Amino acid sequence: MTSSSSLSASSSFPQSSTSSVAAARKSIRAGQVLLLLGLVALAAHYVRAIEFTPVEATQGMAQKIFYVHVPSAWSAFLAYGIVGVCSALFLWLGDRRLDLFAEASAEVGTVLTFMVLTTGPLWGKPIWGTWWQWEVRLTSTLFLFFLMVGYLTLRRSIYDPLERARYSAVVGILGAMLVPFIHLSVYMFRTIHPKPVILKPEGPTLPGSMLSTLLEGVAIMTVVYLGLVLIRYGIGRLQEEKEARHAAAG
Amino acid sequence: MLLQAEPPQNAGFMLAAYMLVAVVLVVYAVTLVLRARKLVREVQP
Repeated sequence: MTSSSSLSASSSFPQSSTSSVAAARKSIRAGQVLLLLGLVALAAHYVRAIEFTPVEATQGMAQKIFYVHVPSAWSAFLAYGIVGVCSALFLWLGDRRLDLFAEASAEVGTVLTFMVLTTGPLWGKPIWGTWWQWEVRLTSTLFLFFLMVGYLTLRRSIYDPLERARYSAVVGILGAMLVPFIHLSVYMFRTIHPKPVILKPEGPTLPGSMLSTLLEGVAIMTVVYLGLVLIRYGIGRLQEEKEARHAAAG
Repeated sequence: MLLQAEPPQNAGFMLAAYMLVAVVLVVYAVTLVLRARKLVREVQP
């Protein structure tokens, strides 16, 4: 037996149809609660960032884009990291739930990356004097966005669920491997993009009030990500269940 | 006497970015919730 057929034979949902639907509904309910909490907290974060966080002396109010741009980037990269981990675990264990979670995380990550790629130019124009630079951090993030759009397109173009899961797992792992490269690219190449202000060897170099607002944004966007991904995962499981019942009915 | 420069007036860019994030998140969230509710109705345990 080849490794491919071995994976096909072992890949399945370990739960019955009824408990699978119940698990999907539970995931959607938990996701809705987290999402609501996250969006309310995000509104409060806007107020704190705009009204109660100091204005940076040289960049002005445009610097406050930092408090949505960086948390969006963090949660996007978290999403892709989870895509990579779930994809690798799927190839190892063959559990279809891992594939569906990777799909959910990839879709949410793509939306978050879209936010990163649009808020970045809105910050760059007043500070750098240009909307876009073809430098390594921006270009590799754009490349990752296209790669994940390709991942989602690939999933829609393969009918067989196990083939689809295997091929997309490979693409998902390759996409996740770009994340550390994007993070370190500002050290490896000469670039206009600022270096990290938190995740660096000598520790954060940011005034306390700005740092706490940024960390609050990171926590809130993580909750928003979890809410979105749990709902999307529940949708994926219900969709698979619907298709399985449709196929069984002939 | 040293004069301290005023920060540049560029709040419009910040507001545009904040609105964009809010609109994208709310539209995507509503889309997901509506899809989920439709499937929950269709696929009974």
